[in-house]
Amino acid sequence: MITTHSLSADAFAALASGAGDAEIVGNLRDAQLSKHLMLLHLVAEAADKAGPAATAFRAGFRLLTELQAVDPGGVAWLVGLPHIGSWTHDCLACLDEGSLPDFDYLAYAAAAAAVRIGVPFELDVPVRDGCVLLPGLGSLLVTDRCEWIRLRSDGERLRAGERIDLPSAALIPDDGSGGEVAHWRGTPLIRAVADGRAWQVLLEFCDRHLDRFALPMLPAMTAAEVTNWRHRIQAGWEVLVRHHGWAAEAIAAGVPVIVPLAARGDLDSATSPAAFGAIATSLPPSAVSMAETLVHEFQHTKLSGLMDMLPLIEPGGQKAYAPWREDPRPLGGLLQGTYAFAGIVCFWNAQRRVETEPDDILRADVLYERWRLTIEPAASSLLGSGLLTATGARFVTRLGEQGRALQAEPLPAAAREIAREVALDNWLTWQLRHTALDASGVARLAAAYRRGEPFGDQALPDTRIEDDTRKVDSVALSRVLNMRYQDPRRYQRLGASGWPDLSAADRLLAGGNASAAAAAYRTAIDSDSQPEAWIGLALTIHRLPDMSLRPVFAMHLPILFDMHARLADQGIHSDPLELAAWFA
Amino acid sequence: MSLQKQELNSAIADLRDLPLERLAELGDSVLARSIDLYLQRLKETGVPLSSFSARI
Repeated sequence: MITTHSLSADAFAALASGAGDAEIVGNLRDAQLSKHLMLLHLVAEAADKAGPAATAFRAGFRLLTELQAVDPGGVAWLVGLPHIGSWTHDCLACLDEGSLPDFDYLAYAAAAAAVRIGVPFELDVPVRDGCVLLPGLGSLLVTDRCEWIRLRSDGERLRAGERIDLPSAALIPDDGSGGEVAHWRGTPLIRAVADGRAWQVLLEFCDRHLDRFALPMLPAMTAAEVTNWRHRIQAGWEVLVRHHGWAAEAIAAGVPVIVPLAARGDLDSATSPAAFGAIATSLPPSAVSMAETLVHEFQHTKLSGLMDMLPLIEPGGQKAYAPWREDPRPLGGLLQGTYAFAGIVCFWNAQRRVETEPDDILRADVLYERWRLTIEPAASSLLGSGLLTATGARFVTRLGEQGRALQAEPLPAAAREIAREVALDNWLTWQLRHTALDASGVARLAAAYRRGEPFGDQALPDTRIEDDTRKVDSVALSRVLNMRYQDPRRYQRLGASGWPDLSAADRLLAGGNASAAAAAYRTAIDSDSQPEAWIGLALTIHRLPDMSLRPVFAMHLPILFDMHARLADQGIHSDPLELAAWFA
Repeated sequence: MSLQKQELNSAIADLRDLPLERLAELGDSVLARSIDLYLQRLKETGVPLSSFSARI
């Protein structure tokens, strides 16, 4: 009788709190192995109907079944790889759209398992770009101009065609310790070790089925680039082991593959539920950023694994504000992000205690507070969505509690203020970009204001979330606000040169002259009411001692903006502060 | 059984100890239910990508 995978309530609670040790990650990996087997079965069913197009698949499948009888663990190693998850999902996508899946890939996979186990086999495999991929191990470099090549092994040596004859023991990933092997390019393997704790991870850039992220996988890597990645991963591992043991242990158990992404100037990282165990990232610029990236992405990995086992959220629903994004997010994305930042808050809470340089301490303090502020509101938004399953509600409730538990942590006032202002800037910008208002509701309020009626308990306009309801170009100011903790020295240099990229009002705000900035923003709005000036004014209001207008600017900025525009259309001049005071 | 020791059962059939060739013989079983649920989920959500950019 077949049973199903299960998770203990303790393991569930640990995951919901943002944690999860190696044993729990092992539970998730076990379930992923079964998922991959299930998907392989689906592809096999399609291959059965595919005739000659799936000849190599069927031969590979037969070899795998034989290998399983000899060494079930060896086949489990292969099928558990993110390569297989990624390939099977690609196959399903092809089958769904009616195109031919890459059936032949299974021949590569079966050959890799056979070579690794060390059993005799014979198999025809395709040659692609002069290579025969052995997933999880590396690539044979084939000089023959052929589309297919026969692999033959006696368990000790592997022959490919007539010219390549290699010892199977040499066909392993390249950990940097050995010399070159002719006709073989081992997948780079990093053996990171710190304080006696080890993590082995492949740097995979040759398997096109793992090229499934928002940025392209690196098409090739020079020896120098591989060395650079080795050093950065080792350095990141040292940070994790020494200061974030809770994450290190789990990452070592659950991340066998890193996919290096082509950089586009910023640090980008990603995961996909289709490739459990793979983390994709451009090269993080430092050991700490490597460690942070691994923690962030592994949170996604854990949650994806859990959601495969236990659905937490139903599809659908309106998109919502996610405090770490510029765009509206589906609720599933909000849940993923909240979980990722729950881990990141723990990361910075530890990191801010071990940094020694003032700039690094400031950065760690700000990032801790910045992301801490996101957890509870995002959890509340999820709980109020009505789309969480009962299990999902339990999970998010625990996550929100974790966010609240961190509120009592002492923090320098300067870091707290920067974090709150940066968070407010994100929220104000998002509102103006994405909150569309019912025009008749705005007109009704504008008419009441014009008639001198009190705001009283008048209804606010209906709102809806749109991708881009107003064009907002406030990136220059946002960059400067973030630069205070991300690059304090550059911030000071730019300040000394008078903030050349900022507007006159923004310069006053960045320079710390809030009163003059408020006057300048009001003047700017009076002459040309642009969203950027309203955001600047709202930020400035939060710096002034009078707190009475802060909630109005924080919560009703789109209404103020649209009312001001409506009145202007009618030839009526309105001052932003007087308009805000009407709501207060 | 205390709450902490209760198991949360997933819909993923545990296939780890099954020979590959036996998968095709299972027919209408917990495997079929696993497959239906997973394909339904893929249909509803696609394969979501979690991506993070450290811009700004």
